[in-house]
Amino acid sequence: MQVVQALQQALPNTSVLTSEEACRPYECDALSAYREKPLAVVLPENIDQVKRVLQICKAHQTPVITRGSGTGLAGGALPLKEGIVLGLSKLNKILKIDPLQRIAVVEPGVRNIQVTQAVEPFGLYYAPDPSSQIACSIGGNVAENSGGVHCLKYGLTVHNVTSIRVLNMAGEEYVFDEKDDGIDLLALLNGSEGLLGVIVEIKLKLLPKPEAAQLVMAAFSCVKACAEAVTAVLQEGIIPAGLEMMDRFSIQAAEDFAKVGYPTDAQALLLCEVDGSHDQVQVDAQRVAEILTGQGAYQIRVSQNERERTALWQGRKNAFPAVGRYSPDYYCMDGTIPRSQLAYVLEEIAKLSQKYDLRVANVFHAGDGNLHPLILYDANQPGQLQRTEAFGCDILNLCVDVGGTITGEHGVGVEKLNSMCHQYQGDELEIFHGIKAVFDDTGLLNPGKAVPTLHRCAELGQMHVHKGQLPFAHLERF
Amino acid sequence: MEQTVKLLAEQIQQARHENQTLQIVGGNSKVPLNDTAQVLSIQEHSGILSYEPAELVITARAGTRLQELQQVLAEKKQMLAFEPPEYGNSTIGGTYACALTGPARPFRGKLRDYVLGTKLLDGQGRALSFGGKMIKNVAGYDVSRMLAGSKGSMALVTELSLKVVPLVEEVTYRIEMPECEAIVLMNQLAGTSLPLSGAAYYGGYFYYRVMGAHPKQTNRVGVEAVDNQVWQTLNPFRPKLPPGQKLWRLDVESTTPCIDGTIAVGMCGSRRWVASEHKPEHPYVTLWDERFLPRHNDGLGVQKIKQGLKKVFDPYHVFQDL
Repeated sequence: MQVVQALQQALPNTSVLTSEEACRPYECDALSAYREKPLAVVLPENIDQVKRVLQICKAHQTPVITRGSGTGLAGGALPLKEGIVLGLSKLNKILKIDPLQRIAVVEPGVRNIQVTQAVEPFGLYYAPDPSSQIACSIGGNVAENSGGVHCLKYGLTVHNVTSIRVLNMAGEEYVFDEKDDGIDLLALLNGSEGLLGVIVEIKLKLLPKPEAAQLVMAAFSCVKACAEAVTAVLQEGIIPAGLEMMDRFSIQAAEDFAKVGYPTDAQALLLCEVDGSHDQVQVDAQRVAEILTGQGAYQIRVSQNERERTALWQGRKNAFPAVGRYSPDYYCMDGTIPRSQLAYVLEEIAKLSQKYDLRVANVFHAGDGNLHPLILYDANQPGQLQRTEAFGCDILNLCVDVGGTITGEHGVGVEKLNSMCHQYQGDELEIFHGIKAVFDDTGLLNPGKAVPTLHRCAELGQMHVHKGQLPFAHLERF
Repeated sequence: MEQTVKLLAEQIQQARHENQTLQIVGGNSKVPLNDTAQVLSIQEHSGILSYEPAELVITARAGTRLQELQQVLAEKKQMLAFEPPEYGNSTIGGTYACALTGPARPFRGKLRDYVLGTKLLDGQGRALSFGGKMIKNVAGYDVSRMLAGSKGSMALVTELSLKVVPLVEEVTYRIEMPECEAIVLMNQLAGTSLPLSGAAYYGGYFYYRVMGAHPKQTNRVGVEAVDNQVWQTLNPFRPKLPPGQKLWRLDVESTTPCIDGTIAVGMCGSRRWVASEHKPEHPYVTLWDERFLPRHNDGLGVQKIKQGLKKVFDPYHVFQDL
């Protein structure tokens, strides 16, 4: 391949991987059901090398799939057979920390947790904390507009980035800064899933570490009461730093795994964390406990110290692997719904679970309505993956139908292209494709991801008539 | 489609056929009217469409007055976190179009941070919908946030869904001190756990505003509690200047040392209001004469992107350029 040769000539030997073995770890991201071997994996060491890679790929009309740490859950970094993977993990330097200004400037390969670790001595931290934060990269966070358990209070990635440097396919550089005038291109680039440019530098907003935090755990014997309790807390004017809900299956799995003292007889469990100044936290924690008791919680526990608070979080933070122990594979969904619809949506998911004969556990970022159903399946059983995908697709359609969205924080990637057809009409999709073309007229940056073609949606529309047993697998993934 | 939206869409289509340029006007409180463009008014398209306090979301038509929104929210002990400036008769649509945020910006974020979804009419009069009413939503490009600040040059936004926050009690304190010391102090305070919602320097005083329960401030030397008026004075900031002097708005790094001619420091140091005859030498300077003129200091590459995006939304150039 000419393009591979050109890349090998332009970059150090160790920066271009082509062998089957070396490329294997890059065949998929955290959505491992989809795999593809790329032409090559390129791991540039500096921005100049990134520019050269882009120029070479442009000249050879070769697609570029930018990749951070590969922790994405929607297949956004799935390689193309005829494309290269542009891995930015070697661009891993923190370029600047200004504690007085409360900003950090980082390269895209810097891991999320590294930022907080580096600024901790100054009493600061970086707020967005996706559950993969020990591994996921800041560049990937920006591309996906990642959330985390604290985003109800502290915002998503888009709220915590003040400036980015971006390259286009020609290797030309742009800066999008919060101080810019007119339309907000910085906001547009957040969550653009690698389709609009390659992000090579990011300026992050840092926040002072809260003086104190307390966790209130509440057990409910009915899901509806738990959902209503969440509403009551928010209506009282308290914005918790974290507000997480788990259903019975998740509670049992988490307790079995982490042994933190969750009540396994509960139908729903609520974890509500308040943080801020000592004064405020005391007031808020007591108020939250009162509200939850008033809403019918039959057991309340308020963390008395840091150790207890961390321990109570452990169950929730390990919910995915805990549920995963019950099955060879699990599939994590990411719909968002109005909280008022939660009880209804959970009932419908239970019905679908019976219909597809697949078990499902639900964990819920209750504060912002982000639902993560985990569907358990076995990829080695013929037909189970397809059934799982159809089940997942039904869940996402359900989310859209109650006024929600198909993805709260994981992104569309390749995984939710079909669901995008359900959420957006042709005219909006046309605008999306128009935006893509403005930034990338070559169409070589992460092609086929995030926004479905109109053709795909049209085909799907026809097939919706025969809803029930969609053979998704044979559909071309473009 | 709502009747008023239908009428607006028809006006857009008619303008396209007649090669007319349209200027979108809300409460006519900000951008002055342009003689060469035809007015497309969203005054009639007003009203709150849905408001679920527990979901922390309000949806309103673009012509809804800010005052109405704020009153309805206050009744449920909630508010717009971005504290939009009131220019008299201002609408939420116009505020969004100009992307205006008040003094809490460094602490609570800016207008676009609270935009969850928009419905709009593009330059072909097509009704489009982006985002929604969800606090978290990463499906598709974030068009709703991108168009904040577009000043009616790309599309007619007809409806907005905004995240709202609980109304908080706020107390303002001030200390008399020199400007350069205040700039350092406000940045230092912002790095502590004191729950700030405003930090500014004006008329020889450093002002800071604190939300909710917090440690006593007035036992510190020189600190006095004052009313919250100063934040209204600064938002919108309309000082009387001597003849010949112009008001310039500078967006800078928050720790930038004193700048000559500064008459107020806002946004915890990241905004400087400078009175001078000539344009200060700085990368992000806007002449602030309440005409909301764009800065036009984009590099060629960004200009090209903006022109390209304009064509995507308004291919026949129906909406007035910036």
